[in-house]
Amino acid sequence: MSTPAMPQAGTALLELRQVSKLYPNGTLANDDVSLSIRAGEIHAIVGENGAGKSTVMKMLYGLEQPSCGSLWLDGQARVLADPAQAIAAGIGLVPQHLHLLPSFTVTDNIVLGAEPRRGWRIDRKTALRRVQSLVQQFGLEVEPLARVRDLPVGVQQRVGILKALYRGARVLLLDEPTAVLSVQEAESLFRVLRSMVAQGLTVVLISHKLKEIRDVADRFTVLRKGRVSGSGRVSDFSEAELGSMIVSKAPPPIPARTRQRATQPLVEIRDLQAHHADGRLAMQSLSLDIAAGEILGIAGVEGNGQDVLARVLLGLQPASGGQGRLQGRRFTGLSVREVRACGVGYIPEDRMRDGVAAEMSIADNLIAVSYHQAPLARRGWLDSAAIGRTAATLMQHCGVAAPSSATLMGALSGGNMQKLVLGREVAAGPRLLIASQPTRGVDIGAARALHGQLLALCEGGAAILLISADLDELLVLSDRVAVMAEGALVAHFDAAGLSADVLGPYLTGAQRQQNATALLDNAVTFSGVPA
Amino acid sequence: MKQATALPLQQRLQRQQALAQRLRLPVALAAGLGCGFLIMCAVSSEPLRAFLTLLTGALPRLHWGAGEGWQLTRLVRFGAVIEDAITLTLLGLAVAIPFRARQFSLGADGQLFLGALAATVVSLYLPGPWFVVLSLSMLAACASGFLWGALPGLLKTRFQANEIVTTLMLNIVAVQAYRWLVSGWLRDPAGGFIVTPFLPASLQLPVLLVHTNVTVMLLALPLLVWTSWLLLMRTTLGYEIRVVGQSAAFALQAGLPVQRTVWLSMGAGGVLAALAGMHISHGLLKRLPVDLPAGLGYEGLLVALLARCEPRAVPWAALMYAYLRTGALAMERSTDVSREVVLVIQALVILFLVAERMQPALAGGWLRWRARRVAGGRHDA
Repeated sequence: MSTPAMPQAGTALLELRQVSKLYPNGTLANDDVSLSIRAGEIHAIVGENGAGKSTVMKMLYGLEQPSCGSLWLDGQARVLADPAQAIAAGIGLVPQHLHLLPSFTVTDNIVLGAEPRRGWRIDRKTALRRVQSLVQQFGLEVEPLARVRDLPVGVQQRVGILKALYRGARVLLLDEPTAVLSVQEAESLFRVLRSMVAQGLTVVLISHKLKEIRDVADRFTVLRKGRVSGSGRVSDFSEAELGSMIVSKAPPPIPARTRQRATQPLVEIRDLQAHHADGRLAMQSLSLDIAAGEILGIAGVEGNGQDVLARVLLGLQPASGGQGRLQGRRFTGLSVREVRACGVGYIPEDRMRDGVAAEMSIADNLIAVSYHQAPLARRGWLDSAAIGRTAATLMQHCGVAAPSSATLMGALSGGNMQKLVLGREVAAGPRLLIASQPTRGVDIGAARALHGQLLALCEGGAAILLISADLDELLVLSDRVAVMAEGALVAHFDAAGLSADVLGPYLTGAQRQQNATALLDNAVTFSGVPA
Repeated sequence: MKQATALPLQQRLQRQQALAQRLRLPVALAAGLGCGFLIMCAVSSEPLRAFLTLLTGALPRLHWGAGEGWQLTRLVRFGAVIEDAITLTLLGLAVAIPFRARQFSLGADGQLFLGALAATVVSLYLPGPWFVVLSLSMLAACASGFLWGALPGLLKTRFQANEIVTTLMLNIVAVQAYRWLVSGWLRDPAGGFIVTPFLPASLQLPVLLVHTNVTVMLLALPLLVWTSWLLLMRTTLGYEIRVVGQSAAFALQAGLPVQRTVWLSMGAGGVLAALAGMHISHGLLKRLPVDLPAGLGYEGLLVALLARCEPRAVPWAALMYAYLRTGALAMERSTDVSREVVLVIQALVILFLVAERMQPALAGGWLRWRARRVAGGRHDA
């Protein structure tokens, strides 16, 4: 163990300068991130899940390499090719999941991989002495000879910290250290961190808890969607100001609907039911109507039969009773291709599994529902030029930027992928679109674009069945909302004035309307009176 | 604003991945040969000579003879490379096409036996002008290969019978049927050993290279490779094969005829394997012995793996494979290293090739080295 040299307080010790990180799967985790960690401070890296905090941490520890930009340590550009180099440079990581060996003692765990030796044997006495001196120096209360499996999580974490200190860390990276701790344990951890900083160490703390940051950190850097959205001294900002840096601003409301809904149903589904392969009932007899230019929302906690409804309607799963008609023509009981030929489009719930082939090009993905027809193909031969044109037009129409239509689909962000999935379905000119969780996991800008596309399709006279777990989305977009619980339709409301509070008891199955069906004229208004 | 940095980065990533893809085979080959040389050093008293023999033993030699002028010798050996490469190319394509639909069809052996058998039967027993009989022979081979290939596909789509098991079992059926027919009905009583009569000379494929069995099949080969590529990349069936192979769930929801794609891809592979059979019966042997070299289908599998199931890369992988094998024979004859070493090298090349993480690691090492140089330069400035 080397005693950490006392650095001059206030100078930049560890810096990222204009660092971007693009993972091979195409995820841009960090975009032009610059941050500066000063010697002798507790620096918090803050942000929501998926904001890119962990990637920053991995780059600081040599687990990942920046795609561009540079890392500076002690005023020198450095490349940390692997954790061993990071450790040699005095950077230690305390991961969220500690990777300790439960049956080993605290001391054994701490010296593991860098054991003091006497000849070819481990020098346990020296190991113990060193660990004890570390424990005293930083006031980390741990019994060096206890077995790790007997220790509470909070103490195990101290073992993790000691392990990093034993390797000579002068910069300590802690990844969400309080996620597994009780309030008392967290407070004691913070005391330890303060004493370490007082002795000249530097601490980098990843967190998404505002209170913690205000309690313990000196300075902070906020990440939002991979970019730095703020940084400074913690004491200069209020909690509310910090909060607004972390969370993106709420999107402006969607413009009021101008579309006209028809009075006759375009889609009629009567007594449709389905069973699982093992004979259990998957969806109870269900009836609903959708008019042209109308959006019928299906609310429900996931796994209550909404996915079954979508799959049965598309022909991916057989119905065991009932039927569906589109413009008077029966479309259930056919193959997927026949159903699609009837004018049904589908946005699958699981985008990566069902919605796209991530390892194929954008063009190959965009032609998936129309590749067998003119103009894309003639007599079994694909027309590459037509495919290229179609793909380019669709990409432009959906506002998706990519190097070319030969780029792999998987290289796009989730939002761009979903825009193309919807664009592909819209291009086929559906009369009925089944949209299952259309904006799941996409950022707000993309969600707005997707909503715009859906509304445009609807105004063009298509019927949309919108299945979503996002009640806000349902309430804003839908004309009527039906609720599914336990495989059955349990309620049906007119969306005008409807609120999430009203839907709540139906979602959990605590309440249901008798023999609910979602026909055009039997929607219950939010006040509880049939329209 | 976000896209401003994302786009160039994505383009760079794409270039890197394309580069790694191109470097894959050369790097794996070099690494495999390098390891092979180390093994030779361990087992041989003259490793360098053995290694050079392995690398050049298959080549024809330009020879100056007094009075005769320049002459090419060892053409037979080089002919063997080409003959082998043709068989392996066809078998590689036969495996690669079902693989692209992610169907692990191991039935190339059986399809090859049946293809050779069907073509030989038609050629021996159908009267008529040679071009009609030869065309019909080829048709018979293709049809039998297609049926024997599509059958396990149908069994899979109909009864969920695992194609690995069914193709292996059908191989046994095909091989035994072949042996039964050759040793009974088709046997040439004057043959001396169990073998069919020779094919009529007019039905043997015309030879291109003297003293070898390199036939017009060599000319047909680019056409077949190109056709396979066209099938995969330019037809709706090929699109279906690729999509089903990449993501069956995606194919299903998009309305692709997944089941039809499965058995058609396996049938298409069967056609190519049967053509390999005809290359053996009508090009190489001119008659059918009771035993054909076993396990050819698995070599096709290795070739397909080497080519990463890309039709245009299959002939090069096959050529490399055949070249090394012939070189190995030469090495065994003239040095103290046995040809088994080459099996090790071939296995190593394939291991290096399928080690998915190795290429990015190499690329990463190179990038780190470059980053260090850039950072160093900046520091100096």
